[in-house]
Amino acid sequence: MNYIDPNPQPRLHHDSWVPSATVMKLRADHDASTPGLGAERALHYTAFYKASQEPSATLKKAKALADHLARRTIQICEGEMIVGHHTEHRIGAICYAELAGVAMLEDIFRFESSKTTPLYVDPAAKRKLLLSVIPYWLPRHLAARAFPFAKSIRYLSEQLQAERFIITETGGVAHFVPHYEDIITQGTGGLRARVKVRLQDPNLTQEERNQLNANLIALKAVETFSDRYFQLAQKQGRHDIADILERIPRQPAASLREALQMIWFFQMVIQIESLDQGISLGRLDQYLYPLYQKEMAQGTFDPDAFRDIFCAFCLKLSEVIPLFSGRLTEMFAGLPSGQAITLGGIGKDGQDAANPLTFLLLDVIDQFKTRQPNWHARISKNSDSAYVRRVFEVISHGGGSPAVYNDDVIMPALSKRVDRPDLVWDYATIGCVEPGIPGISYNSSDAVLFNYARILETVLGRTQDHNNIHQMSNLIEALEAELRSEIATLKEYLDAIERANCKDHPVPFSSLTVQGCIEQARDLTAGGARLNASGIQAVGLADLANSLAAIETMVFERKEMSLGELAMACQQNFEHDPALKSKLAGLDKFGNDKANVDTLARQMLALFDRVISENVNTRGGRWMPGVYSMTCHRSMGRKMAALPSGRAAGAPMADGIAPTDGTDCLGPTASLNSVAKLDPMHTPNGVNLNLKFDANTVKGPAGAALLQGLVKGYFDQGGIQVQINVLDPETLIKAKKNPENFKNLLVRISGYSAYFVDLTPDLQDEIIARTLQAA
Amino acid sequence: MKPLSAPIFDIQRFSIHDGPGIRTTVFFKGCNLACDWCQNPESQSVTPLVSFYENRCDQHFACARACPENAISKDGFRIDYARCSRCLQCIEACPNGALQLIGKSLGPAQLFEQLLADKAYYESSDGGVTFSGGEPTLYPAFIERVLGFCEEHSIHTTLETCGTFSQKRWTSILPRLNLIYFDLKIIDAKRHKQATGSSNRRILENARYLTTNGYPVEFRLPLVPGLTDDPDNLEKTADFLKALGQSKIHLLGYHRMGEAKIDIIQGKQKKLGLQNYAADKLADVAQWFEQRSIATAAT
Repeated sequence: MNYIDPNPQPRLHHDSWVPSATVMKLRADHDASTPGLGAERALHYTAFYKASQEPSATLKKAKALADHLARRTIQICEGEMIVGHHTEHRIGAICYAELAGVAMLEDIFRFESSKTTPLYVDPAAKRKLLLSVIPYWLPRHLAARAFPFAKSIRYLSEQLQAERFIITETGGVAHFVPHYEDIITQGTGGLRARVKVRLQDPNLTQEERNQLNANLIALKAVETFSDRYFQLAQKQGRHDIADILERIPRQPAASLREALQMIWFFQMVIQIESLDQGISLGRLDQYLYPLYQKEMAQGTFDPDAFRDIFCAFCLKLSEVIPLFSGRLTEMFAGLPSGQAITLGGIGKDGQDAANPLTFLLLDVIDQFKTRQPNWHARISKNSDSAYVRRVFEVISHGGGSPAVYNDDVIMPALSKRVDRPDLVWDYATIGCVEPGIPGISYNSSDAVLFNYARILETVLGRTQDHNNIHQMSNLIEALEAELRSEIATLKEYLDAIERANCKDHPVPFSSLTVQGCIEQARDLTAGGARLNASGIQAVGLADLANSLAAIETMVFERKEMSLGELAMACQQNFEHDPALKSKLAGLDKFGNDKANVDTLARQMLALFDRVISENVNTRGGRWMPGVYSMTCHRSMGRKMAALPSGRAAGAPMADGIAPTDGTDCLGPTASLNSVAKLDPMHTPNGVNLNLKFDANTVKGPAGAALLQGLVKGYFDQGGIQVQINVLDPETLIKAKKNPENFKNLLVRISGYSAYFVDLTPDLQDEIIARTLQAA
Repeated sequence: MKPLSAPIFDIQRFSIHDGPGIRTTVFFKGCNLACDWCQNPESQSVTPLVSFYENRCDQHFACARACPENAISKDGFRIDYARCSRCLQCIEACPNGALQLIGKSLGPAQLFEQLLADKAYYESSDGGVTFSGGEPTLYPAFIERVLGFCEEHSIHTTLETCGTFSQKRWTSILPRLNLIYFDLKIIDAKRHKQATGSSNRRILENARYLTTNGYPVEFRLPLVPGLTDDPDNLEKTADFLKALGQSKIHLLGYHRMGEAKIDIIQGKQKKLGLQNYAADKLADVAQWFEQRSIATAAT
């Protein structure tokens, strides 16, 4: 659809806007409430599954959802403009017992004392979780059903170690963009009508009929759930809310406020049903625009009220806290739920699509920093200059948002990999950094994080094979063979997980929100979406390239040592030869604009793409390579031996596509040049690049212009994405000492923003200590 | 004929305080002044030097074993410059980077290759290349050649000078520069000589020459407590600018980081023991100029 305004109006600029006192009070209440472990879903689902004789998995899942929505505790807090909570607590974490929730509960006695985000656990709930939920799901949860018993034990223990790869899909799929344009323009009524039409098809199989009937149960469940809020609103005298809930979600949204309430209901229930990971909101400034135009025409649009409501909406998204055990926190620090919103970009006609709503949302990012959503801004050569300027102005104010994406390389890269190249203009980001086509795709964009540097560790460890490695090409062949063998194992595991998700964990409600599922009467997990994919990310690309460059120099060019000697020195963590470690560390590294090592990085990325792209998932979607690491570059690095790059055993690897910390010595332009040499066509699933600046470097209009120039230079050379943290080390040190005074301090970790105080102390130290790329 | 080259002690990319936009700044080695407050003491001599960072030394003396001239001492400062032949073997031998070479001779094409690497950013930010030092005007033929390359690639150029250049050698080059930052230090001749070791006659003459001929010049004043920021010098500086018809000055607050660098080359520069120029003092000076209708920019 074309989002271009035929009669462009002057842009609204409200630089002086600040959130109202009402919103700030709402925020204060939000900040003051203690996050809790939401046990109700696990308890209700467990009771339902124990009692239910329903043979169809999808009907069972829909009925369990309906049962839970009918019984879960609800509240409308004082001053709330949008209603509905992720859990029975105001801010809470859901335990998806039937997925990986049981594994998270390994920390049930530790959640409250967690150093990062302590979760309140009600003692009665804890007892019930221990006595009924855990014993029931331990032999029945997803991974347990995916594999035969012995294998499932091995699988789980490997996954918990997460040395080779981590299959995030073990926790459920999620990671898609619901078709919110459809949803707000049709309501549940419209969706039901479509399902009913489809049900009239006499050729449906029983399974298909079950799927559609499950869809209907889920729709009804959401409507009933909404009615409970309607009654509560009336009871509490909140007539503004009751008025809205009289129409939605059954009818299309008639105003922007109704649309936001509708979106939140869907966002909330999708996350309750499936998993609170990467459920993204797509191009919200585009699909809300017709309602904006309507309100403008009616003369009812109030920019201040809209921004206030949107602040309240951001608080809703921020109430979602993923339940991560201590182990997982190491891999995905900062509590990312990955609810991404994409701004700007282009329309179907290739013209800039930024509109007045885009600017109002940028005001919200600027003035009202919240943990969620993940804000992303699309930029292209066609972007309106006022829009680009405003984006960088907001970035220069700190908070790490929005991250920026380069349409001019992302669209061509996507065009080659999706079956609908005609729709790539409409791409939005999913979760942290992954581009996908909203509303029709089930990307599972964060399916796997793969430790790419580890294949070199393995090859170096096979000393008996070293005799066959006489030159770089032999080594690269050995790496490819090892990569293929690892990917074969991964494929076997991931397929099993996908099948188990499909068989036991269909998502009949979520399936209503992606085009293709109703039409095919098929669940998302069974490949019902029009487009499917699995995102496989490489971790440690820079470390791999740096190590190969070191081997090339030391072993093959200078012939100072044999491959075996170097491998042995790495295994011993250079303990017998510290001078060697310094020497290796002093060799050329990725991130310094050096042709030799940058070429190796390019070559290894091409290899990764080639091997990954040969695979297809069980839903018929391609595997799509990406390069980002969440915080797995630390957790995986911790378990790795020293590398020929001079990286010590246990040290972190490179964060995403960036150079390894401390190895880029020539400043951000050289660093970005190295990254831009990587061919964007090889990373259709996206990359993550964090740049950090101290507040002094980027302050004021000159600072914003500087950032804009830097990113433009990077994008002009083929850069894909960047997110910029503006840090002031003194502030960070203070925040570490007195977290209670710095609850709102946001930093960008790896594709998402996190409250600094939520991070583990060593990650806080890393952020403080990291070389700030200031001049 | 010896091929054209110049000693360069640093090439700083993403340089954002030496002219507009994102720039690469080339620091030439060698200076014809020796200011008491010099922030780059290692840049004063033209010859390359091996510097010594004591804090990085592990006392294993691989450097001493590698040195063919027996120029490494194990006590106190490591290098005997009288003996050092700058063969650089000690630098290679040190695993900790405690010995570093300051100043590397580069040819114009060699240098330009490094400057060209950030062309995309010069274009995207209206930035370019800055020649700094030391004193870049010691190398007119070299800079002329590099300027030629920059012109071929439409790269904006800035020169930072203390103003001691020879007009004769620079007449043909000056019109080709896009921007000239010109440091005025002390206007009083005697005090200038005292603090910098040289007369300022030529500096003031060159300042007049540039403004009279309409070159794109902007003047800068390093603020060093008690040495350049006294009322007398400020007054004279303002008068001088006005006489030239100038209404803008860049104020550069003193930073004590330069003093730490004296030790790495066993420099003879006396330490002033001053603190960094305080932001409020800088604001006062700025206000003082503004009251005299001279706009200020703080860098």
